[in-house]
Amino acid sequence: MFHRRSVASLFACGLLLPIPVLHAADAYSILQKNCFVCHGAAKTSGLDLRTSDSMLAGGMHGAVIVPSDPEQSRLYKLITHVAEPAMPPGKKLADDDIETLRIWIEAGAPYPKIDAKQADAAEKAAQAKLEERPITESERNYWAFRPVHASAPPKVAEAAWNINPIDAFALSAMKAKGLKPSPRADKRTLVRRAYIDLTGLPPTPADIDAFVKDSSPDAWPKLIDQLLASPAYGERWARHWMDLARYADSDGFEFDKDRPEAWRYRDYLVNAFNSDKPYDKFIKEQLAGDEYITKDTPPDIARESIIATGFLRLGPSGGGGGERGKQDSLDDIVATTSMTFIGMTVGCARCHNHKFDPIPQKDYYRIQSVFYSTRPYTYPLVGATDVAKYRAEVNRITELQRPFRKAKADLEAPYQKKLIDEAISKLPDYMQEAWRTPADKRTDGQKLNVQQIEKTLTNDTLAHKIDEPMIVSLMTEEERKKHQELNDKIEELETQKPAMYPTAMAITDSGPTPQSSYFLMRGVPDAKGSLMQPGVLTVASAVEYIFPKAPEGAQTTWRRRGFAEWVASPDNPLTPRVMVNRIWQHHFGEGIVRTPSNFGKMGEQPSHPQLLDWLAAQFVQKGWSMKAMHRLMMNSELYQMSSNDNMADVSIDPENRLFWRMPRERVEAEVLRDSMLAVSGKLDRKLGGACIFPYISPDIFQGSSHRTWPGKADDDPATFRRSIYVFSKRSIRYPLFEAYDQPNLINTCDRRNRSTISPQALLLMNNNFIITQANFFAERVRKEAGSAPAAQVELAFQLALGRAPTPSEKTSSVAYVSANPKRLAEFCQAMFNLNEFAYRP
Amino acid sequence: MLSQLGGGIGSLAFLDLLNREALAAERNKNPLAPKPQQVPAKAKAVISIFCYGGVSHVDTFDPKPELLKRQGERMTGVGDVVASMGTPGGLMPSFWKFKKYGQSGLEVSELFPNIAQHADDIAVIRSMNALSPAHGPALFQMNTGTILAGAPSVGSWVTYGLGTENENLPGYVVFTDNRGGPINGAPNWGNGYMPAAYQGTQFRSSGPPIVDLRPPADRTNEEQVEWLKILNKLNETHLEKNPLDSELSARIYTYELAYKMQTSATEAIDINKETAATRELYGLDDDVTGYFGRQALMARRLVERGVRYVQLYSGGGNFEPSWDAHWDLKGNHEQHCAETDKPIAGLIKDLKSRGLFDSTLIVWHSEFGRLPISERMDGRDHNAYGFSVWLAGGGVKGGTVVGATDQYGYRAVENPKSVYDLHATILRLVGLDFDKLTYRFNGRDMRLTDVHGHLIPEVLA
Repeated sequence: MFHRRSVASLFACGLLLPIPVLHAADAYSILQKNCFVCHGAAKTSGLDLRTSDSMLAGGMHGAVIVPSDPEQSRLYKLITHVAEPAMPPGKKLADDDIETLRIWIEAGAPYPKIDAKQADAAEKAAQAKLEERPITESERNYWAFRPVHASAPPKVAEAAWNINPIDAFALSAMKAKGLKPSPRADKRTLVRRAYIDLTGLPPTPADIDAFVKDSSPDAWPKLIDQLLASPAYGERWARHWMDLARYADSDGFEFDKDRPEAWRYRDYLVNAFNSDKPYDKFIKEQLAGDEYITKDTPPDIARESIIATGFLRLGPSGGGGGERGKQDSLDDIVATTSMTFIGMTVGCARCHNHKFDPIPQKDYYRIQSVFYSTRPYTYPLVGATDVAKYRAEVNRITELQRPFRKAKADLEAPYQKKLIDEAISKLPDYMQEAWRTPADKRTDGQKLNVQQIEKTLTNDTLAHKIDEPMIVSLMTEEERKKHQELNDKIEELETQKPAMYPTAMAITDSGPTPQSSYFLMRGVPDAKGSLMQPGVLTVASAVEYIFPKAPEGAQTTWRRRGFAEWVASPDNPLTPRVMVNRIWQHHFGEGIVRTPSNFGKMGEQPSHPQLLDWLAAQFVQKGWSMKAMHRLMMNSELYQMSSNDNMADVSIDPENRLFWRMPRERVEAEVLRDSMLAVSGKLDRKLGGACIFPYISPDIFQGSSHRTWPGKADDDPATFRRSIYVFSKRSIRYPLFEAYDQPNLINTCDRRNRSTISPQALLLMNNNFIITQANFFAERVRKEAGSAPAAQVELAFQLALGRAPTPSEKTSSVAYVSANPKRLAEFCQAMFNLNEFAYRP
Repeated sequence: MLSQLGGGIGSLAFLDLLNREALAAERNKNPLAPKPQQVPAKAKAVISIFCYGGVSHVDTFDPKPELLKRQGERMTGVGDVVASMGTPGGLMPSFWKFKKYGQSGLEVSELFPNIAQHADDIAVIRSMNALSPAHGPALFQMNTGTILAGAPSVGSWVTYGLGTENENLPGYVVFTDNRGGPINGAPNWGNGYMPAAYQGTQFRSSGPPIVDLRPPADRTNEEQVEWLKILNKLNETHLEKNPLDSELSARIYTYELAYKMQTSATEAIDINKETAATRELYGLDDDVTGYFGRQALMARRLVERGVRYVQLYSGGGNFEPSWDAHWDLKGNHEQHCAETDKPIAGLIKDLKSRGLFDSTLIVWHSEFGRLPISERMDGRDHNAYGFSVWLAGGGVKGGTVVGATDQYGYRAVENPKSVYDLHATILRLVGLDFDKLTYRFNGRDMRLTDVHGHLIPEVLA
């Protein structure tokens, strides 16, 4: 070190001719080895150190090298850890290397003559190193990546808990911790629980009665079957899936355009759950429905399969174009797909290898290449001849309009010119001068300004510097009349254009040949690494997965089909575990893994790993039937436990991790609204179709891009449909849903937040929709129970809570209701506000 | 103030239902319960003044004499010229003159004569740059750190980090322009992936401030109190079966808060009792300044009452007047500056006279700036490569200028600052460490500044 330094000082003193070749080469190789990965093609923070020019240009944070002045050079300050952020990230260069760079900067930071070939090879080698992230045996051995292994359920002493293996697994885990299962809940509680879980609606007094009175041993399984057969089941469980699918009916972003036909995907979901579509098929249709269709596929199945691909279209759009915009959209697809189906946060590996899980960045880009060749597909729901007919008709009318448009333009021309001349005379001198200067004599700036003037004054619909009314105002009476006639004719023809045929939002590939996609260093679109082939999650695939080849004549690449086959394979260790855990979560309040879309290291570990595996195996064995899973889980003793507090167990396991009781769950926003409609007697049970627009105060949507929300009045029966049908506009949220933690409609959501905040109370206290429904509820009570307050209170309790009031409740309620005639409706509103109404028991 | 409100609710028997300890526990469970600062800082509240559409920095806080010298010339030597709307023109001089103000000699254009009087109070960052020159993404970036939708806004992070000082008011309040809200809508002040407690609550500046704040017209206060009593009475049975479930008692408690909020929110923005001098200070009785003046005054009243984060928008959306001066920059900026100059200066003065200036951080900003060249002959197009913002109040070193754009004002070239840096600094000024303030979502500890952000030490007092 001393030696080098002394040589440098000799240069500085001018005693030796500066020949910094050695330093330059050394310095370059240090930078190449340590810095180019981020500050090369990836240009992190805008800095590219690969050439002298780009190094001297600096990055987003300004210059990094002050030639001959190391102490003032940002690069030197960062590598010596004098300034933040310390570089390279997470380590410090060797002292010798730092010193070499110091001397090199002092010498003016010269670059060596770079052999382009060699540099290219070195860069390629560095890239290859960056792209390789081997998976170790022990990483493969992480529980979630091991094959599902169903061990035999343990035996417990309690006979009743040995019948359903869920119970045996759960009880033996409880016993190990000294926990006692809660006693069985009463039948009224059970029937309410089952209705809310499976249909999202409270049972009617008659439903409750029928179940309570049915003393046959199979009363409970019969009830479950009956509820699973109800169309309301599909509506309820489709909503869970919509959370995962970040479903919305509009684009989001600045223009937040409506997606008036997105609901077809929602109807697909409702139908899929109701028909108990096998889950593997459900996956394949959503990821690659279009790639499973052949000539022989019946039209209704083909149609369903294509609508299902809407899953890949549901992310926000309109946030930006170009490759960056495309990368962001693909990121939405990769992140949502991997979290939803395999419970892995692959999205975290967009810019670097996953920090916690064995997910190489390369896996991200291999999975991305599966989706890279897709394009949005507006799928006509009518036949090809109808589409052709529509297009021909539109073209025909446009042709008829043409002569009228031409005549109109001719009529306007002289006045337009007059207005242009006038406008130019008002411009600043330098602009007018540009205009006056002959075209061949204009400077660069003048050319730009003239272009701008021309465009602004003749062809600008935004600024309206010169618009049609201004032109018309200068016309003679006769011309004005003619102009109006022409406009009328054009407009009349316009109205003759046929209405657009119905379509669905789907996705397909741009063709059978895949588009090339690349590994991107640091996730930067310009920093291309090697060409990517489609792949799956390496760590979860025991042998290298071979993608099927698209057959001759295929319209698509078949990459999504290949990926879907892997995801939906019975051997995939993640897919069945993830889905049974979701079903479990919606029955038991929390999953066996409490981070349902993250089975990785940063997620929670399973509370009952063996039970999870046993369930996953059952799921596959029973043909991926979701209804079979509901039956299995709900027929357990565990599901039928009481939710009441139990001091002894609370102190051991306050979070109920071992499911020693059924947790009380605050119902979701949608269930709350639907329950009010059901209890008031107004709920319209019509299934599917276009969305509804319940009333929203203009004060709320005046803050959106478009100040329109075609809301119907609170007492308009058109809005009395289930919440799943409420139009989900990303910039205009339905206040009740927003306050009660409906997800943000943008990111996939595996578990809703459960806030308890005062705006929720304000809404239920004062909102006109709630009050309107409370009035309907009161009307119903009056009609069905008569005018005696005692009977009214009794019925209101039965309808809203499914039970009779206690004597003390009855006394206070009757006293309250009797005070004046307004009170009944207010009392009914109080019912909607009760904790008991808002919690699933 | 609390004592004024206490009367009605005392009779509600909340305290009979929940013992005092349990009540204290509910307060702590309240996601908006006040939390200590992570690092010592003076400011306790933030007022963000968002000039939607893009203020032209070269016409307000970043003088560029070069534009006059070279008017009409093509802008060269500063890299690619990106004009969002196409058809870039030549360099266009400013319509306004700049002067130096205060001891610091900070330069401000004649568009802001009143704010200029506070030159020594404000720290202008002239070297800001943003990631997108399109309103939607840029608005998201300025509000949430990322150009994509779905992340929590700065106000959500601040209320998440610090809670609020007054549980009878929302912790985070937003006033949109009276002509309409900014584009993107509510996600601008959304809680993203955080719980609903941290979302901005939109206040109206006339009538009841919050939608559904008031009970229906035919329900008197006494009736409402009676109603709350029967509600509580009936909640009792359910609570008895689940005495250990604090979520249930927390929900009961939200009704007490909601009841109080009906009065306190209305009171908080009731400016009828403000003095004539205050009205004059904010320009309330002037048609031009009246509207924004009211909002600025309400912001002061809210901050005074313990609200953590207030955001005021100047400028409506795509179809209303906003700062988005693609043409007629002169008319546009004269209008919007006139509307806001006096109220903002009034706000600074008022906060000072009430001793609140040191505990309040004011951030004045747009989503980006405007180009030094002309668009549509007399306007300017979007510019995300260089623009100005300013900070004032608690912990801010007034009279400061940070960084610089190039000779035209096109790109930030000296000491450039990103939106991440601005956010890191805002958090720091209210006592939060941008690096340590995290929220776990989808398996990641999320940050407002993601993996980016550096403090801007030059603006810290």
